Amino acid sequence: MRRREVLRGAGWSAAVLAAPAIRSARAQAAKPLVIGGSVPLTGAAAETGLNVNNGYLTAASYLNDVLGGVEIAGEKYKIELKLFDDASDPARATTLIQRQIDDGTNFFLGSFGSNIVLPTAAITERAKKPMVQTGGGSDAIFTRGFKYVFGMYPRATRQFTSAAALFKTLKPAPETYSVIYNNDAFSKTAGEGVKLACDGQGFKRIETYELPTKVTDVSSVLASVRAKTPDMLICVVHDQDSLLIARQMAATNTNVKLLFQGLGPQLASFREALGKYSEGLFCSTYWDESVPYKDKFFGGAKKFAEYYRSKFTRPIAYHTAGAAACIETYVLAMQAAKSTKPEAVRDALAAADFETFYAHIKFTPEGDGDALLLGGMIGQVQKGKLETVFPDAARSASPIYPLLPWDKKA
Amino acid sequence: MSLVLQTVADGLVLGGIYALAAVGFSLIFGVMHVINLSHGVLVLIGAYLALVLSNSLGVDPLLVLPLVMIVLFGMGYCYQRFLIQRTISGPPLASMLLTFGIALMLQNAMIWVFSPDMKNITPSYAFDSFKIAGLTFDAVRVSALAASLVLLSCLALLLKFSHLGRLIRATAQQTLAAQLCGVNVRHVYALTFAVSAAFAGAAGIVIGVILPFSPADESLWTLNAFVVVVLGGVGSPAGALLGGLLLGVVNTLTAQYVGPSFPNVTMFLMLVLLLLVRPHGLLGNAFSASR
Repeated sequence: MRRREVLRGAGWSAAVLAAPAIRSARAQAAKPLVIGGSVPLTGAAAETGLNVNNGYLTAASYLNDVLGGVEIAGEKYKIELKLFDDASDPARATTLIQRQIDDGTNFFLGSFGSNIVLPTAAITERAKKPMVQTGGGSDAIFTRGFKYVFGMYPRATRQFTSAAALFKTLKPAPETYSVIYNNDAFSKTAGEGVKLACDGQGFKRIETYELPTKVTDVSSVLASVRAKTPDMLICVVHDQDSLLIARQMAATNTNVKLLFQGLGPQLASFREALGKYSEGLFCSTYWDESVPYKDKFFGGAKKFAEYYRSKFTRPIAYHTAGAAACIETYVLAMQAAKSTKPEAVRDALAAADFETFYAHIKFTPEGDGDALLLGGMIGQVQKGKLETVFPDAARSASPIYPLLPWDKKA
Repeated sequence: MSLVLQTVADGLVLGGIYALAAVGFSLIFGVMHVINLSHGVLVLIGAYLALVLSNSLGVDPLLVLPLVMIVLFGMGYCYQRFLIQRTISGPPLASMLLTFGIALMLQNAMIWVFSPDMKNITPSYAFDSFKIAGLTFDAVRVSALAASLVLLSCLALLLKFSHLGRLIRATAQQTLAAQLCGVNVRHVYALTFAVSAAFAGAAGIVIGVILPFSPADESLWTLNAFVVVVLGGVGSPAGALLGGLLLGVVNTLTAQYVGPSFPNVTMFLMLVLLLLVRPHGLLGNAFSASR
C-alpha cells in the first residue's frame, strides 16, 4: 500500500515536472505577437504607472496562460510584451521607443502621462506603427492629425462633460465654481475642459488657479478661496496635489458645497490618508468592477478583477483595467483585420466597435475615446467607499450634496 | 490687509520648514565643499522611517524624531566615511557624481521597499487649525515650524558651544591647522555629515507630517536646499533660517499676488540676482573668516 502511494506520488510529480515542457512545446507552436512600449515604474508617475503596467501584464498573462494564446487569421499567437521603465522621463521614453522601432517592433502600448505619451506617440506615428494607450488624455495628442494613436479616454477637454451634466442635476442648484489645475500638458487642458463644460452648463466662474507642477503649499490659494468662495471647487491636479489641497482645506476649514478632485479619491491610499474627511469628495472614474460589459476573453469585469487579484496584491484601479483593455483591443482589431500588419491593424482600430469588460470601445476619427462610450463616470466617496453616482445607468448610490463642512466631519 | 498678513504668516511657516530641510546641506557644503545631491533622499528616508516607526509604535510622529535622527546619524557617518571621503581630495565633480549616483540608487531602493505610491503621515492634529488676530493657522504646519525652530536652535548651540562644534568650525576654517593641532579631520568630516544627515532626517519627519510624499520627491528637496543655501549663505543655521524664511515668504506672496504658478519664477530670479550681487549669500560663509 505504501509502495503504491509512493508510486502515485511519483507519477504526480512526473506529471507536474513535465507540464512546463508540454506548455513550452505548445508555446513553440504559437507565434509571438510582440507589443512594445514603456511605462513609468519609477519617478513621479510611478504610482499610476505601476497600475498601468499591472494591467498590461494581467491581460497578457490571461491570454497566454489561461486561454493558451489568441487566434488571428487562423494562426495561434502568444502576446510577448517588451515593456521598459521610462522613469517618468519623456526623454528616456522616446529613446526606448525609437530603439524598439529600430528593432522591428510593430505595435505599441502607451506610457502614463501626456508629457510622455505625446513625444512617444509622435515617434510611433512617424514610423506608422499603432499605439493604443490609456495614459495620455491631453488634447495635443489628438489634434495633430496623428492616424496611428488611439486613447482609451476622450481628450482632456471633453472629459468633464459628464461631471458638468451631473452638477446641473444637483439640488439646490450650484451656481458658481472655481477651478485649480497644474501647469502641465494634461492638467492644463483638463482645466480648459472644466471651463468649457461648466461655462456651457451656465455656471459662473469665480476664479482660475494655475499651480506649478510640484506643489508644496496651497495656503495662498485657499486664502483666496475663503475670500471668494465658490459653490464648487474643481481640482484637476495630480493625486498627490489633490491630497495636499484636501488636507489644507480641512485644516483651515475652507468650506465649499462641492469639492471635485479629478485624480485622488479613486485611490484607497488617498481615502485612508484623509479618513472621514474624504467623505463626500467627488472624482472621475472610468471603470468599476460592477460595470455590465461582457467580452469574449475575460467574460466580464468581475472575472477580470478576480484574475487580477490572483496575480497581484496591489488594489485594482481603473488604469489597470484600461491598460488590459488596450491589449484586448489590439487582439480584437487584429482578429477583425485578419492580419498582424500595422496598417491593416490601424484601420481596424479606427473602425473599432467592440465590447470589452472595460467599456464599449469606439474611437473618434482623431483617435481619442468616444465621449459617450468611453467618457467618465462620476464617483463619490460615501462611507469610505467609492460609489458611482453618475451616469444613472451605472449608478450605485445617489450623490450627496451639499457637503458637510470639514469641522462637522470631524 | 488681513490677506497680506495671512500670506506673510503662511510664508513664514513654510519658510521655517524649508530652512530645516536645507540646514544639513548647508553644513556639508560649508565644511567639506561637497554639494550633496543625495540630500533629498536623506530627507525622504527620515519621512519613511517616521511613518514606519510612528505606525508600529502607535505614537505621534514628532516623538520618534530622536530615534530617526540617531539612525540617520549612523547612516550619514558610514556614508561619508566609506564613500564620500574617497572623493574629498578629488575634483568637486567627483563628489557630485557620487552623491547623484547614490541618490538614484536609494530612490529606487525606496520604491522597492515602500512602493512608488504617495504616503502620508497623519498625526491626530493633522486637520486642526486655530485663529490668532483673525489669521488662520494650520496646527500641523505650526507644530512643524516649532519643531524646525527648536532643532535649528539646537544646531546653532551645538556649533557654537560644544566641543564637536568647535572641531567642526576649526576644521572648516583651517583644515591643515586643525590637523596639525591633532584633530582627526576624517572623523570630523564624518561627524559633520552624520549631524547633517540627522537634521535631514528630522526635516523629513516635519515634511512628512505636512505633505504627502513619494520617492520621486527627492529632487525637489535637494533643489530647495540648494536655493535656500545660496540665498542665506553657507554653513550656518542662521543663514539657512534666513534663506528658508525668505524663500517661504516670496513663494506665498508670489502665489497670492502674481499667480500660483509663478513662485518658481521668482525663486530662480532671486537666485540669479543674488549670485550676481552677493555670491556668498545674505549672511556669507559662516566658516570663511580665516580663509
